[in-house]
Amino acid sequence: MSDIMKNFSVTINVWRQNSASDKGSMVSYPVNDVSPAMSFLEMLDVLNEDLIKKGDSPIVVESDCREGICGCCGLVIDGNTHGPDKNSTVCQLHMRRFKDGDVITVEPWRVKSFPVIKDLAVDRSAMENIMQAGGYVSVNTGAAPDANAVLINRADAEESMDAAACIGCGACITACPNGAAMLFTAAKISQLALLPQGHPERKERAINMVEAMDKEGFGNCTNEYECEAVCPKEIKVSNIARMNREFLIANFLSNK
Amino acid sequence: MNLVFLRRIITTSIGRKLIMAVTGLLLVGFVSFHLMSNLVLLNGQEAYNTYVEHLTGVPFLLFIELGLLSLFLTHILMGIYVRWEDYRNSPSGYKKRNWQGGRTIGSATMLYSAVTILIFLVYHIITFRLSDHSIGFYEMVTNAFRDPIFATIYVLGGLAMVLHLSHGVQSIFQTLGINHQKYTPFIKLGGWIIALTMAAFALLPLIFLFGLESHFMGMLH
Ligand code: HEM
Ligand code: SF4
Ligand code: FES
Repeated sequence: MSDIMKNFSVTINVWRQNSASDKGSMVSYPVNDVSPAMSFLEMLDVLNEDLIKKGDSPIVVESDCREGICGCCGLVIDGNTHGPDKNSTVCQLHMRRFKDGDVITVEPWRVKSFPVIKDLAVDRSAMENIMQAGGYVSVNTGAAPDANAVLINRADAEESMDAAACIGCGACITACPNGAAMLFTAAKISQLALLPQGHPERKERAINMVEAMDKEGFGNCTNEYECEAVCPKEIKVSNIARMNREFLIANFLSNK
Repeated sequence: MNLVFLRRIITTSIGRKLIMAVTGLLLVGFVSFHLMSNLVLLNGQEAYNTYVEHLTGVPFLLFIELGLLSLFLTHILMGIYVRWEDYRNSPSGYKKRNWQGGRTIGSATMLYSAVTILIFLVYHIITFRLSDHSIGFYEMVTNAFRDPIFATIYVLGGLAMVLHLSHGVQSIFQTLGINHQKYTPFIKLGGWIIALTMAAFALLPLIFLFGLESHFMGMLH
């Protein structure tokens, strides 16, 4: 077996916090026999097994699909949102990125509007509230419409799909020096603004979602573009420009 | 009368950004004009004094100045408010945090460059606008520039302008909703060119401090 595949040991310096009201602190745990083929979350699973055996409470960490598509996971690892790899979620991070003896700092999203539930799990309801303010299209139920009844040009469909790739993980908010939720909200406004199905509610959507975003206490955008740099789905800040456009047009040029 | 559209401009994040961008854009226009005016210094005493007399002779000068003052005040007060709000909302408490390449020196120092410009501005207005103009504008300005402390404050102010606009100019476009893969690279380049032009604010006092003005005399006709 090549040296590269040998198991190794790391120290995890992780945030432990019992509840939203608890102060919380960093706690260190050694993790031995780490396989380079493990994912980062599997390594935490191993550590948790160990903690349970010792009668300690396991570290609460959120994940679901573990294949980079659901947006559940999200950690700040050694100061990097979603870990050291670009365009990737934490669940896609593997232990081969680390080496023997590494001390790895693991922290939750520390956004004011995302209170910690326990340890590394945070409450991202604030993002849901933005979605509920307009991140949908109202459709009549009934017989399924003809698939080709509404024609959409290819370029618009692609751009809409690019925005729709947002998995709502919240990394952009965590990474923003101002804690702004602009990239997320912009992606959700854009995916519908680019399609004819989104047009009937386009104006109130832009206004309502932006107002909901502000109401949740997210910061103001100062165009730092850190969000784009950490987004696992490569959502572009041009979506934020589109949201600004949508909002300003709706505000100034419509009767909304 | 439905004034909700005005209320939104003041109360929403995007509305406030719009105020920052529009006042910023108008200020860029003003400082560009101001810079061109400063360059007339290089054409010598007579040219400069005649120029300033024309400029200060325009009708309704007071109204223009009040307009300018409100432009600055709006930009400054909204800037402070927005930054204070961001300060309250921003993620904090990280043991470790690395920026991932989105920020630039200009964007990360926006508040510091702003405060430097503000200090400079107050000093500038006290020394040049509210001061005694009887010895003549050219004499007043060039005497001041030959004072090392005065020149230093000007150099710092000029460099702060370079930093502020290195982020600010392209930021205006993004805020106004103009971001396109074809044009944004040029907008960013143009932003840097405008920002670097502001270095001339810092160069002028240095030219007079080191007595180099005769080399430039008559260059700008
Ligand atoms: C006098 C003191 C000044 C203060 C306190 C100030 C403050 C600020 C602040 C806090 C911001 C927002 C920061 C950010 O977006 O990261 C900003 C943005 C900006 N400032 Fe200033 N500023 C000043 C002077 C100026 C001047 C003289 C100009 C123009 C020549 C200017 C042009 C801009 C521009 C273009 C922006 C970007 C607007 C946008 O993001 O859309 N500022 N300023
Ligand atoms: S825009 Fe990117 S970083 Fe932000 S929530 Fe969506 S997927 Fe996550
Ligand atoms: S667990 Fe689903 S994206 Fe990471």
